[in-house]
Amino acid sequence: MATSDEQAHEDRQDIKDEQLAHKDDEQAEKEYADFEARVRRTIYIDHLSPLVTAQVIKASLAQCANVVSTEFIQNYTIQYEIPAAALVEVDNVSQAQAAVDLMNNFPFMLGGMPRPVRAVFAKPDMFPDRPRKPGLKVEFSWVKQGDPGYDGMNKLKGLARRQEAENMALIKNQLEEEKELAAQQQETLEASNSKYDMLEKLITDGDITKLAQHYKVKLGDD
Amino acid sequence: SNENIQFSWGKKRAKGGAKMDTQFYGSFTFDNVKYSLYDCVYLFKNGESEPYIGKIVKIWQQNEAKKVKILWFFTPDEIRNFLRGPVAENEIFLASGDGTGLADINPLESIAGKCTVVCISKDERNRQPTPKEQTVADYIFYRFFDVGNCTLSEQVPEKIAGLEVNVLLNPKDEQVICYPDQDVQGMDQKVGAGLVAPLPQSAVKMDEIPVAPLPQSAAKMEDEIPVAAVPLSQSVAISLPPSVKEVDKAQVAAVPLPLAVEEDVPKPTQKVFKRTENLTTKNMPSKKLKLSQDLTTQSMAPVPDVKVRSVPSAQQTTRQADRSKWFKPQPWHGKLAQADKEGRLVYIQNLDIRFGASEIVELIREALQLSCTAKPINHPTYDDPNNGKAYVVFNSRNIADEAVMKINSGLVVGGRPLYCSKGLLKVPKPASGALVGHLTISNQKMNPRQREEQKKAVSTSHCSQPNTIEYDLALDWMLVREKQAMKFSILHKRHAGERKSFAAKMEK
Repeated sequence: MATSDEQAHEDRQDIKDEQLAHKDDEQAEKEYADFEARVRRTIYIDHLSPLVTAQVIKASLAQCANVVSTEFIQNYTIQYEIPAAALVEVDNVSQAQAAVDLMNNFPFMLGGMPRPVRAVFAKPDMFPDRPRKPGLKVEFSWVKQGDPGYDGMNKLKGLARRQEAENMALIKNQLEEEKELAAQQQETLEASNSKYDMLEKLITDGDITKLAQHYKVKLGDD
Repeated sequence: SNENIQFSWGKKRAKGGAKMDTQFYGSFTFDNVKYSLYDCVYLFKNGESEPYIGKIVKIWQQNEAKKVKILWFFTPDEIRNFLRGPVAENEIFLASGDGTGLADINPLESIAGKCTVVCISKDERNRQPTPKEQTVADYIFYRFFDVGNCTLSEQVPEKIAGLEVNVLLNPKDEQVICYPDQDVQGMDQKVGAGLVAPLPQSAVKMDEIPVAPLPQSAAKMEDEIPVAAVPLSQSVAISLPPSVKEVDKAQVAAVPLPLAVEEDVPKPTQKVFKRTENLTTKNMPSKKLKLSQDLTTQSMAPVPDVKVRSVPSAQQTTRQADRSKWFKPQPWHGKLAQADKEGRLVYIQNLDIRFGASEIVELIREALQLSCTAKPINHPTYDDPNNGKAYVVFNSRNIADEAVMKINSGLVVGGRPLYCSKGLLKVPKPASGALVGHLTISNQKMNPRQREEQKKAVSTSHCSQPNTIEYDLALDWMLVREKQAMKFSILHKRHAGERKSFAAKMEK
């Protein structure tokens, strides 16, 4: 054990050390605080058409919010064709709230109809470039073959894989449901359209008056 | 702050600035290392494991602030998308042209150390390096990367950053050589004699070494004001690490020989730059870090009061342009494809969803002692937040393979066993058609102009009004979406529960 002099010296050094480390931590905390502020004024829009550009988003939100930046989410993990999604940063939290309210209270059409977009407040883990979260410990250990708990860990891995498969199956299911709905709506739309077309034709050709006479129905114009 | 780190100015140059309050210099000594104009240095960026390499092109002090202007070098990794042809293992590229990324002004204190960069261009303006110079050099370069138009070229430009290119190529005299073997011998003698021998970085001249009492051996042959700032009466800190075996180990304990008592004491696991001892064995540790003094532990025995020295860079932040954002479009995307082709890409799963790139890089560094770049890739709408996924890119195929094996053998992070594999996931190309659910009415009766107008009207964003067919259809979608969200929520909650109860069972 060192002498008391050396010990005191060591203590002084340790304190200095901690102060220096503290500076680093302060920096990281500030950076994360700035990031969190940014998250609060960012909204996450999905069910977005792949044809929509940042310009279109900016223009469409102009009525309630000024868009500062738009970051489209890259699909790296889903093997099916999915709608686009974007993180849209606006000037402040109240604008973000206004945008979210607008898009939730009314079906909001962006770049096409009738499927509306969806908007929610962004969360930190949506940002691929998020900074280091101060206080989040990166703790690890090794549980290798022969160690106790090795089997348990392997089972956990199996569980994780199974859950992934379940999730992917649900996604596939959802996407198919959406395709069905779209097809169904297209049919309905075309049917309505031809109905209106037919009506229009009857009116312009004058056949409607003949029909009215035949069925002994009074036309409104008489 | 930096009060305890040694500093002194060297040769003065012109005065300038609007109020004549700026003094330019030709050299300075920092932390007992002498730096001159056009020396090559390392700078650290907060949170990154690899330092940047740059050339000092301007040195000045204005009021209290000491600044340096750094002209950047690029590593092959940084410009991978634009690289063509063979690349030497220690090759770097000098920035040229105009624009972001050419040069930056940084606080002088952000300099982490010196390195040798030798130019091997055959251009007549470049003094050809001797074979010895080439061998001992940390890096070589002969190509230039134009930051303005993102092109690589062997042609030496006339000027870079307003300077005649001559000063940026090899210095006229053979100055920046270090003969480590002789260093070691010299050191042994001195250590035995109990004297302090400051031998900081690679830019130590051969002749200086054996002269023990010389405070700063970096006094050059030319007419520089000798750095008197480090007399023996003060504490001189040297970094004398134990012999380094592992290539990828970035942590080296530095051991100074202090004479005075007051010294900055750092954490023992700071990174320190030095040169490898055995250049004969052509050791190229993780592409970057080299050791300047590599003494065996036995010569350390007579040294009293061994302490570990902190690295200035760990305390300061370098304000630099964020180089990762330079080369659009989607620099990551291209990087990933390229890395995958070269077998350096690893797909890791079961991470904590809160882990960002920095946490993952830190994990890989601490657990595997490997450097890498990482990107979390979970899709916020669809991916299960119980299972965090990321792509990690390593420096070589072998290293990536090694990492996969190690991680799969049983790396557990916060109770989560990670699993990984090589290669990109197969995803469909980004859709280029309309969204599923965006309907079109095929109407032959409209003439082309009407069709155009209708197209424009459709693509204008708006809130759907209740008295339209569109509204009814939109409501269908909102209903479906709500149901979907609920299903996902239930599934993900169930997954979280399963994991918890499984973990609890295992505890028993």
